[in-house]
Order: sequence, then structure tokens, then C-alpha cells
Amino acid sequence: MTRHWWQLTGLVAGREIAERARAKSFWIASVVLLVAVAAGVLIPAAVHGSRSTARVGLRSGSLAVVLVGDSEVLVKQKPVAGAGSPAATLAGILSQVGGLQKLYAELPPSAAARITSSGIALPIHGLTRPARGLASRITGLAAAILIYVIILTYGIRITIGVGEEKSSRVVEVLLTTLRPTQLLAGKVIGMGSLALTQVVILVGTYFALGYAVGSSAVRGAADGVVLAGALWLLLGYMFYCTAYAAAGSLINRQADAYNASLPLQLPLILGYVLAYTAVYSSNVSWFYHLLGFVPFTAPVVMPVLVAVGAAPAWQMALSVAIIVVSTVAMARLAGKIYERAILRTGSRLRVRQVLRSAS
Amino acid sequence: MGRGVLELIGLSRRFGEVIALDQLSFTVPPGQVFGFLGPNGAGKTTAMRAIVGVAAVDSGEVRWNGQLIDQAARSRIGYMPEERGLYPAMQVTEQLSYLARLHGLSAPRARAAAAAWSERLGIGDRGQAKIETLSLGNQQRVQLAAALVHDPELLVLDEPFSGLDPAGVDAMSEVLAERAAAGVTMLFSSHQLDLVEHLCESVAIIHRGALVAYGKVADLTASGPLRVFVRVAGDEAGRWALGLGDIAVVEKVTGGTAVLGLRNRADAQAVLDRARAAGPVEEFGFVRRKLSEVFRDAVGSPAPAMSAPGASA
Repeated sequence: MTRHWWQLTGLVAGREIAERARAKSFWIASVVLLVAVAAGVLIPAAVHGSRSTARVGLRSGSLAVVLVGDSEVLVKQKPVAGAGSPAATLAGILSQVGGLQKLYAELPPSAAARITSSGIALPIHGLTRPARGLASRITGLAAAILIYVIILTYGIRITIGVGEEKSSRVVEVLLTTLRPTQLLAGKVIGMGSLALTQVVILVGTYFALGYAVGSSAVRGAADGVVLAGALWLLLGYMFYCTAYAAAGSLINRQADAYNASLPLQLPLILGYVLAYTAVYSSNVSWFYHLLGFVPFTAPVVMPVLVAVGAAPAWQMALSVAIIVVSTVAMARLAGKIYERAILRTGSRLRVRQVLRSAS
Repeated sequence: MGRGVLELIGLSRRFGEVIALDQLSFTVPPGQVFGFLGPNGAGKTTAMRAIVGVAAVDSGEVRWNGQLIDQAARSRIGYMPEERGLYPAMQVTEQLSYLARLHGLSAPRARAAAAAWSERLGIGDRGQAKIETLSLGNQQRVQLAAALVHDPELLVLDEPFSGLDPAGVDAMSEVLAERAAAGVTMLFSSHQLDLVEHLCESVAIIHRGALVAYGKVADLTASGPLRVFVRVAGDEAGRWALGLGDIAVVEKVTGGTAVLGLRNRADAQAVLDRARAAGPVEEFGFVRRKLSEVFRDAVGSPAPAMSAPGASA
């Protein structure tokens, strides 16, 4: 990879950025997305502010109570012998915690704990904030949704973009001076960095607005959840860039782009759908944990696992390692497919065919 | 081999059962307008794609300046592919300077070259237009400009004349002649044999992937069966020639001019003597074959009407 190699690759990337940024549709889509993100922050904040009644959940078996309101309270209570049915106990707790919640919201946790342990009649054993509150879970889910949407939106563009030279036949002119891998790398880097810039602006807007209006999805979340969302967005995006590029390498006509990229959408959809169930459950299934290691699903699964507090450090590290290695491998595969496919014309290639001629 | 010489050495390529190239070897000297001919499917495009490196060959090699052609050498090629292709939504000047930069020109030089070639090919006023909005003829001009914009040392042009109007053909011919005069090595394919004959100094003709004729156009057209044309005043039907017997065969008579096939050069004088005996000779000369005849003989297609022996008007 000499300086010359990168120079030409850079020229290709530069063209991708310049040509795409020139198109009106790019700016229209950007503005629409920006408005959508702003609406996604502002509308829930407006709706949420008016809902003051607390939702209550009872975890089966124990008598812990999870209260959800503008701020959260988790009350753990030991069963009191002879105090009647769990339902009656719960009713008793509920009569108290309306005020408790207000107190808690206004006081620092230590002060809240002091007051509740001395001044409340019910035998409240302790008052603790949950390790991962609902705000964090919502942030985790929001990150998964964002990553899902971004990959689906930009991925297909990469597939179509990679097919551009082949479908317009300009590739023959380019190949007198460019290696196929240079062309592919330049295209993916160009399209990828442009999209990433757009995403950074969108996510930045999301957080800026979120903080400004005090959205619970942003404010209440632990920093780790936000960071995890950003990390797997970046990793997932890079991995899927190469995967969509490989899909694009297999096709000759842009009409085939959707078919070729369909297999890539399925794991994303799976991880995305399961995210809704995982994010509210206290016990994440082993299957969902497993998906956290698969590079195709990890980008949407891991932010949720982190958000619900179910991802130990080793799992995060392993997942990151797997996705990084997979990205490199996928980039190589894409380059190989592109190189083989580009030197012949005709119908859509089969992956096996390409790999056979590559070996 | 010396500077600027392009050598094809034993190129072979099979597509399944079809033999596209069969031990194809020939040399293209620099500074000549060099035509590459052959019927459809003869392997011209495959050979040209092999030269520029977008198609692999099963065996054989391409040498340029005496060395195996490599990626660095290929960036000095100007290539016009058979299937035209440029970025449809890109502006003409942008596109040309992008291609020039990919071939190593600096940004300012690339822009200048793009403007100069657009001007030269008569599309100077369309610099801001997207390629897809241009007429096919103008797209073709942009395609040629794309092949020339980096001042290549070797031009490989696949059917550069197809789809051009007469003005376009003139502009293209002029550019090719000028580039050849500047010392560029050039190989272009065409089916317009009259044009090739007029334009080219040398040609290679291939058939079923193998070379069947090669050389200077002047030499190729002067070769083959010896013929003379004679016109005797007052003998519109060329009756004088009927008595020539075994020294000449009348091939045809049009407008009083008889075309006679001879066995050897010496018989030409005998024919001339007979003609003068019959009356005043208004025309006399050797018939050069047309390149199209050379082509037909070389590729062995069904005999064209004009060479049917003994036919008379």
C-alpha cells in the first residue's frame, strides 16, 4: 500500500463525496432525517411531561416494587409475616410511595434514603436506584433502532454505489489506471465517511436537543450506555459497509441491488425485533447473548445488552474483537469478489463461483 | 523491441467451447494510424481488453516498450471500450479532469487538459452538462476525450467511429492522424473498411482469433490477382477485349472501361498493344484492390459479386 496507492484511492473517495454532496436529493434527505430526529426527541418529551401518574410493576416472587415516573424509585421490601396477601401489602406500599417518589425526586439519594428509613411507617428495607434504569434502557433501545435504521439506509446505498461503475461500464476506462481493490476501497471509504458525517450530525442533534429539553432518554442514561451505542454504531456501520460492498460486487445491474442485499437485512431485523423484548426483561435469554457475538447482529444487540446491564466486560471485549476481525475479513472478501466479478461481464455471479476462481 | 512498440505475443483465450483468441501475435509500430479489423466475433475486443488489462488471457503476453505491460505502463494508455461508459450523472469537465487526475495529472493540469480536449472535439460549450443529457454523438466525443485527456502514449480504441455523424468522423480522423504524427502508438478497430483504407497506414486483420493479414495498407491492396483497367474510345461494350484469348480474362465492363485479370505483369504490355490496335486508349492502369476485398479474401467470406470472373456488363 504505497503512497501512490492511497493517492488514487483518495481520488476515488473524493469523487464519491463530491458527486453525492452535489445531488439535491442528498441535502433533502439530510434535512428530512434531521427533522425526524428532532421530532423523535421533542415529541416524546412533550408527551412525557404531561404524564404524571406513576406506572407500577411487581416483580414476581419478591415484593420489590418498581416505580416509574419522572424519576424512578425501586423499593425492595421483605415480606412481613402475617401482613396479609401480597396484593394487600402492595396496596399499602402504594399508598405511601406517591409522596416518597416526590421526595426522592427532589432530594439527593443519600438524603432520600435517610428520610425513608426513619420516617416511613411501612417496614421498607431499603431504597435503591436500579443499576440500569428505564432511561438507560430507552437509550439502549433508541441506539439499537438508530443503528438498525442507519445501516439499512446507508447499506443499500453502498450496494448500489458499488454497482455504479459496472452498470455504467465506466469501469473499463478506470481499470487502465486503478486496481479493482483501489476502486472498491475508495468508493466505500468515500460513501462511508460521508454517511458517517451525516450520522454524527444527526446523533449530535439528538443529544443536544435531548439535553436541552431534558428528555429522559438522554438525560437519565448512564454514560456507558451512550458510549456503547456510539461504539457499536461505528463498528456495526463499518462491518456492514464491507458486507454491503461485497453484495454490490456480485451484481451487474442496479435492479439486483435489493435482492443481493436482502440476506444482510435479515439478521439485522432479527436483532432489532428481539431488542424490544430484551430491553424490558430482567433476564435476557442466552440466545440474545449469543447474538451479541455474531457480527451481523451484534451492532443492534450489544447496545441493548449494555443498557439492561446484562453485558459483562468480557462479553463486550469479545464482541468488539469478533466484529473488528470480521470487518477486515469481509473487506478482503469484498475486494476479492469485486476483482473477480469486474473482469467478467454477464449475469449475477454466485459467491461460490467467485471464491473458487479466487483460490 | 524499441520504444513505443506494442507487441501481442501468442495471445490465447477460450470462453468455454468458444475460442476468442488463438495464438494471436502481431506488432503495432509507433507513429502510425493502425487499424484492427475482423468480422464480428473475431476477437478484436477481447484482444484490446487484454492489452489494457481488463480481461485475462489463458496464455501469451503483451509487451510495451519491450517489456511486459504492467499497471504503471497501463496508466499511459488511452482506452475507449467497446461498451461506452462514463459516469452518467457527472459533468463533462468534472469527469474528464477526474480521469486525468487518476492518470497522474495534477489538479490544475487536469482541468486545463479537460477544457482543451473538450474544445478540440467540439464540446467545449457542454462542459457543465451531465453526460446523460448529451446526444449519443457528443457522448462519444466525451468518451474519446476521456481516452486522450492524459496525453497517453498508447491509444487503444474499440470502434471509435461507430455512432458518429460525418462531422464526428472527420473530427475523429483528424485527431487520430494528429496523434499518430505526434508519435503515439495506436490500435483502433472498425468495420468501416473504406474509412480504414483512407485513414490507416497499416492494418492487422484477424479471423476466429488468429491473424490472417497484416501489413501496410498500400502493400496489402497492391497484392493479390493482377488486374488492369482499359478504356478504348468508341467501344462502350469493350468488344475489343473479347479477342484477347489466353493473355487476359475480362472480369467486367462498366461504362466502356474493361477490367481484365492477368496472369503476369508482362502481359499488361500485350494488352495495351491490342487496345491501341483497336482504337485510341483513353484509360489504362493497374487496378488496386480495395481494402474490403483484401478483407474478404482474408476472412474467406462468401465471394462478393464484383470479383465474379468473366462477368460482363
